[in-house]
Amino acid sequence: MELSVADMSNYLGVTPDTIKRWLKQGKLPVSKKGQTITFRRKDLENWARKNQIKLDFSKAAVKTEEANPRGENELVSLVQAVERAGVFPGIPGNDTSEVFESAIAGMGFVPETFKSDLLSRLLEREAALSTGIGNGIAIPHPRVQPEYIESPAVLIGYPREPLAYNALDGKAVSVLFFLLCPDLKNHLHLLSVISFCLRNDSFVSFLKSGPKTADLLEKVGLLEQTYSI
Amino acid sequence: MTLIRNTYQEIIHRLFRGDDRLLLIIAGSIAGVCSGIAAVVLRLSLEAVLEWLHHFRHFWWAFALPAVGAVASSFFLNKVVKEGAGHGVPEVIYAVSRYGGLLRFRSSFSRLISSFLTIGSGGSAGPEAPVVMSGSAIGSNIAKFFHLNDRQRITLVGCGTAGAIASIFNAPIAGLVFSIEVILGEWKFVNIIPIAIAAVAGAEVSHAIIPEQVIFNHQPFETGFNDIWGSICLALFAAMISVFFTRVLRQSGKLAKRIELPLWIKAAIGGCTVGLISMGMPVVLGEGYHYIQMMISEEFSLSIFLVLVAVLAKIVATSLTLGWGGSGGIFAPCLVIGSLTGVLFHKGLMALFPGAGCASEGAYALLGMTGLISGVMQAPLTGIFLIVEITGGYEAILPLILVSSIASTLSHYIEPASFYFKELIERGQFLRPGTDARILSDLNISELIETDMITVTDNRMFRDLIDILKTTEQDVFPVIGSQSGNYEGLIQISAIRKFALDPGMYDMIFVSQVMDSTLQTASLENDIQEIIDMMNTNRVDHIPVVENDRFIGMIKKTKILDLYRQELIMQTISH
Repeated sequence: MELSVADMSNYLGVTPDTIKRWLKQGKLPVSKKGQTITFRRKDLENWARKNQIKLDFSKAAVKTEEANPRGENELVSLVQAVERAGVFPGIPGNDTSEVFESAIAGMGFVPETFKSDLLSRLLEREAALSTGIGNGIAIPHPRVQPEYIESPAVLIGYPREPLAYNALDGKAVSVLFFLLCPDLKNHLHLLSVISFCLRNDSFVSFLKSGPKTADLLEKVGLLEQTYSI
Repeated sequence: MTLIRNTYQEIIHRLFRGDDRLLLIIAGSIAGVCSGIAAVVLRLSLEAVLEWLHHFRHFWWAFALPAVGAVASSFFLNKVVKEGAGHGVPEVIYAVSRYGGLLRFRSSFSRLISSFLTIGSGGSAGPEAPVVMSGSAIGSNIAKFFHLNDRQRITLVGCGTAGAIASIFNAPIAGLVFSIEVILGEWKFVNIIPIAIAAVAGAEVSHAIIPEQVIFNHQPFETGFNDIWGSICLALFAAMISVFFTRVLRQSGKLAKRIELPLWIKAAIGGCTVGLISMGMPVVLGEGYHYIQMMISEEFSLSIFLVLVAVLAKIVATSLTLGWGGSGGIFAPCLVIGSLTGVLFHKGLMALFPGAGCASEGAYALLGMTGLISGVMQAPLTGIFLIVEITGGYEAILPLILVSSIASTLSHYIEPASFYFKELIERGQFLRPGTDARILSDLNISELIETDMITVTDNRMFRDLIDILKTTEQDVFPVIGSQSGNYEGLIQISAIRKFALDPGMYDMIFVSQVMDSTLQTASLENDIQEIIDMMNTNRVDHIPVVENDRFIGMIKKTKILDLYRQELIMQTISH
């Protein structure tokens, strides 16, 4: 098998210029055919064994940028996540716990057997530190990812009455983003997107006006396109 | 009074501590003398026991003699002094490169006794490797006595080796060259002078005790132009035999390892087989110097076929002796096989071209020895000088150089690692000065680890981490479990940059949610090579060191690079 300078630079993890310098200095076993420089695999293997150099010709050794070493899944957009869970106007309940309970009851994508577990996880997170980010908005989410949920989901809920929430600025909460992701990576990503959207004042006032689901999704979609960090 | 004392101390300092050359020369000559005595003692006692046992050789049970010797030798090595079998040269090379030449005191006599038992009883092996082991251990322990540092100790190990080889062959230059070419592996000015003096001291000791000048006497050789072609062909032939010999030796050792029998039974089997071979082919017995002398002085009268059989028999006998538990070196067997090869080649040449005006059979025996020594050890200079000195055959120097260089080059081409180095390379213990493996093996985790790291507990909010970030330049943060105190994961700034720029996230996430807990961790037992491999496979620049779940410190690639460069400079400076 014959290898080119580009192949060698891949296998050894150095630039082709380095390979060329090593060739000029006579450090690599090369077989030239006229002007083209090629390496014979057998020669290289002998050379590597003799000089105690680790040389792995298997495909794993070639560094590819798209390779994802931990096999993580792709990121989900906020629109997809909201489409999955939907919008829930007028959630009944008098306090945080009751509102959460009714909201979870309406989540079709959460298996029945895990609903009480999800509620306790959400409340546990609130007990640690309120998720009310101020300005009447809160992002309830569990601290430990609920692995029983199939894919990331964001439910936008409006409590029937503004909710006393122990938020940072003390304001009552009128919009809730229930953020439920099975994996941490999407969780952090969606949290970051939501935070980005909520920095846009016109979006916040639009959100609080209680728009139709389709309009809300369209707006979120437009805003998400400008998301950049 | 104080003035005198101060002056005295100043002189001592200038002579010995400030510049250690004089110190090394003195200590080196002591090492040379001591190892020279050790070598002479082994040589004389071997001669005596071979003489004594000669009377029993014609009895039918004589074939069991080598077995008795091999069993005694392996029992002594394994049970009494608790050292491994084999010839010991790789162990010396490894001690030099890894432990600054540190060798145990018992090594200075253990191999002498075991090889005396093996060779004296008729096992096919040489006394040279044992005296190398013993000489180097003597040098190492003299260095210990003088409280010398690693570098000086390595020089003294070289001195001991040179003295031993110089003494046993009465060949000072061969001792010097072997010591530097094979054992130390670097030609450094500071090493050469003490080792040369030690070699001369060793040779003088041997000369004083055994007055004869050269080991092998011979008639002057007349070499002509035709012998150049003869030597080239002989070199090719000798290289083949060298490679064959090396492979048979190694295979025999591997086979013995695979067979599950007590060591003494293996040694007995090996010894008996050698004894049986020796019944038909007495040339395989012992170190065989007597037969070399016969071949050089052309008193060796076997037919061409029998010489071929003798070559094979000697190779098999040596492999059985050394591979199956006996103790001894390959120097003398190489010389015997080499001279047999030379004789075989000469006989073949004469049969094919009866009229060719070649040098005598003795001259070719000489050339064959050079070919085998150079081919098996891949040490061309040792091959040339050893043969020149032990035979006094300066008139054959041109063909000698030719045979030596061709044989070592060709055998290097077929078998890239020499017999001495192959084991070390396979175990990853071949660490010549200035090589990557050597530098990495010299660096310790303790020199690289950064322990004064700011850590964060996993129940802290992201905002707390941001506050810490503002006050430090640290760019990785180990996360410690708040309950357990165990290492949980690592936060890298590059991974959290996205969230750190968004104040809306600060109170939303916990430290434990942004840490990377899948990252591979190292322990204090890992060596630097393994840690660098980890960094490369995971493509990270930091590896946390975790011991019993507790975070110990970080190892950074930049730190490794810094220290690596400094280490390289230190290892390659001339003293």
